[in-house]
Amino acid sequence: MTTLTRRLGLIALALGPAPALADTDPAAIIATYADIAAAGYADSLTTAQALQQAVAALIAQPSDETLAAARAAWIAARAPYQQTEVFRFGNPIVDDWEGMVNAWPLDEGLIDYVDASYGGPTDANELAALNVIATPQLTIAGIAVDASAITPALIANTLNEADGIETNVARGYHAIEFLLWGQDLNGTGPGAGNRPWTDYARGEACTNDNCDRRADYLQAATDLLVGDLDYMAAQWAPNGEARAAVQADPAAGLVAMLTGMGSLSYGEQAGERMRLGLMLNDPEEEHDCFSDNTHNSHYYDGLGVQNVYLGRYVRADGSVVEGPSLSALVAETDPALDAELRAKLDTTMAALGAIVTAAEGGFAYDMMLETGNARGEALIMGGVNGLIDQTRSIERVVTALGLDGIAFEGSDSLDNPSAVFQ
Amino acid sequence: MTRTLALALTLVASPALADVPNALTTHLLPGFHAFSTASTALAASARQDCRAEAVQPAYQAAFDAWMAVGDLRIGPSEQGALSIAFWPDDRGFTGRTLSRMIAASDPAVNDPATFAEVSIAARGFFALDMLLYDPAFAYEPGSYPCTLVQAVAEDLAAQAEALETTWAGKFTEALTNPGAPDNALYLTEEEALRAVYTQLLAGLEMTADSRLGRPMGSFERPRPRLAEAWRSGRSLRNVVLSVEAAQALAHALADWDLPQTDAAVAQVHFAAGNIDDGSFQDVTDAVHRLHLEALQQAVRAVRAALEIEIGERLGIAPGFNSQDGD
Repeated sequence: MTTLTRRLGLIALALGPAPALADTDPAAIIATYADIAAAGYADSLTTAQALQQAVAALIAQPSDETLAAARAAWIAARAPYQQTEVFRFGNPIVDDWEGMVNAWPLDEGLIDYVDASYGGPTDANELAALNVIATPQLTIAGIAVDASAITPALIANTLNEADGIETNVARGYHAIEFLLWGQDLNGTGPGAGNRPWTDYARGEACTNDNCDRRADYLQAATDLLVGDLDYMAAQWAPNGEARAAVQADPAAGLVAMLTGMGSLSYGEQAGERMRLGLMLNDPEEEHDCFSDNTHNSHYYDGLGVQNVYLGRYVRADGSVVEGPSLSALVAETDPALDAELRAKLDTTMAALGAIVTAAEGGFAYDMMLETGNARGEALIMGGVNGLIDQTRSIERVVTALGLDGIAFEGSDSLDNPSAVFQ
Repeated sequence: MTRTLALALTLVASPALADVPNALTTHLLPGFHAFSTASTALAASARQDCRAEAVQPAYQAAFDAWMAVGDLRIGPSEQGALSIAFWPDDRGFTGRTLSRMIAASDPAVNDPATFAEVSIAARGFFALDMLLYDPAFAYEPGSYPCTLVQAVAEDLAAQAEALETTWAGKFTEALTNPGAPDNALYLTEEEALRAVYTQLLAGLEMTADSRLGRPMGSFERPRPRLAEAWRSGRSLRNVVLSVEAAQALAHALADWDLPQTDAAVAQVHFAAGNIDDGSFQDVTDAVHRLHLEALQQAVRAVRAALEIEIGERLGIAPGFNSQDGD
């Protein structure tokens, strides 16, 4: 049988985790994993609550200062959230929920006014330029919708993914980001979105019309985000469902950890988010395209992968959550492989750090996407290559721990081959 | 039953029986060579007469050749495939980028090295699909779009040649010498085998989920315009060719019979035969949608058969693939 099954047998014989095994006991490793998730979502919640207060202050007293404070609160809220993205793949509870919080890319013309260069409805999305904020009475897929009051329920039940189109993102971080920054009309040149605070001003000072409805939208979207994060934090709390799901079977829990690390590193971050945008040379193809905060989003995504492997997370307040780690388990089975993966995770973080440093120095992520920009391409591909390379070692860990057999057992077709050939 | 089991156990102990070098020499490398030849012919055809109806036959032939190797996302194809076949394109990048280049008479078409740097949305098969088949892009000889068609075809031929060269050279080295001191990609034969096996399954997943799943949409809201290459009428053809490519690669990889896989592929052909519109534009009709659903199930059954006849037999599970994620 597999290495892991043998280990689980030993643990059972010892009647509970013996001290000598504690650091590499799969159940303890999964407990650390769930603790990191719980802390990450709790931090996402508290920073989103701070954003909620900053948004309330902006709406109560619109000014340059209150808008800047709300933007700063949004950027702060992204740091813990992005570190939780590694929990998405491998945990169905998270994956099914994630689209409400971090859906991207979006056709922002659904929500508010856009520049003429944005264009109108497209073949793929008739609602791409709907502009809910300017339109109290809407028609969506032939059905009349009363949008005279912009409420969390309207956004959640009617607008988000309206007409079944994924790019109709009406809620979550990126909808809020658009309402705080506006479109980034600088192409691959310097500068982020530049929405004036007067978009939230009252009376005569209001710019771009419907300031009250815009404020209602921003408030409602922020309230929804807080509610969504509150839900997910509870799923990882001591009696939460997501925690129970990974703890039910230690081997399956380890598979969930490694699936999250590999799928986020490779298909999602290296592929969909970084390389594809680079090859399209489109400044809208950056994850936080309104705020130009993409460098941080990528960095914290990568850090989340490293956190899970090392069993260590630095919280928003600077305190540390740590415990028995996957790294220690791998080191016990194959020390060279553990060293290999730790080194590759470090290499990736250095490459993602170089992107952050360049962006903070004025070379923003969208500028790196410019056609023929060799320096930008080298920076982004440094991250992409690191992420792809670490995925190879993550696969080796799956094999070294004997977990590929478990992945087999999870396949429907193998559990019930006859079902496939009716 | 007992004999089957004993035989299976023997084979599990000898994973080296699956033959990656054979897959390279009998399927993959000839496939890249044929694609390169067909792309060179396409470029020549466009050079000689850029009118859409003149270029279309060579375009179809080159796309056919691509499908034999087009679903691979390892080695040089990992990145190389993206600029040859940028699809799906949810946000309409191809139409927008081509329109922008045409409106500006972008001079990138005059220099192959510059053209190789333009957005992948304006390169490869799906740029040609729109230029050659969409009435909105209709053009005359001597116009800018005519030069653009020639530039895309020329660039495609250059990409095909580069892909063939790298597959036959460096990447064959890596796949066939696992564990060599300078081979950081594959440390063991099993890793090389797993990499190729993962591609088999990922290609079929892509066909079921995207080539079929995207136009199918939901029952209430089918999406015919999301079909792959619907303008050129290749949607169904690409589904069938992708399944045949997986079958051929599987046979090249395995030196044993694959009866379940072959039966499942026969079922794909049968299901494909029930489909009237090769570009899936009739998916809005409930009966036609049902036929697509049957085809999708048949494709998934091929994947399941490969898991049993290759994966389980060798005791390997697929690794991560580039389409994990959203």
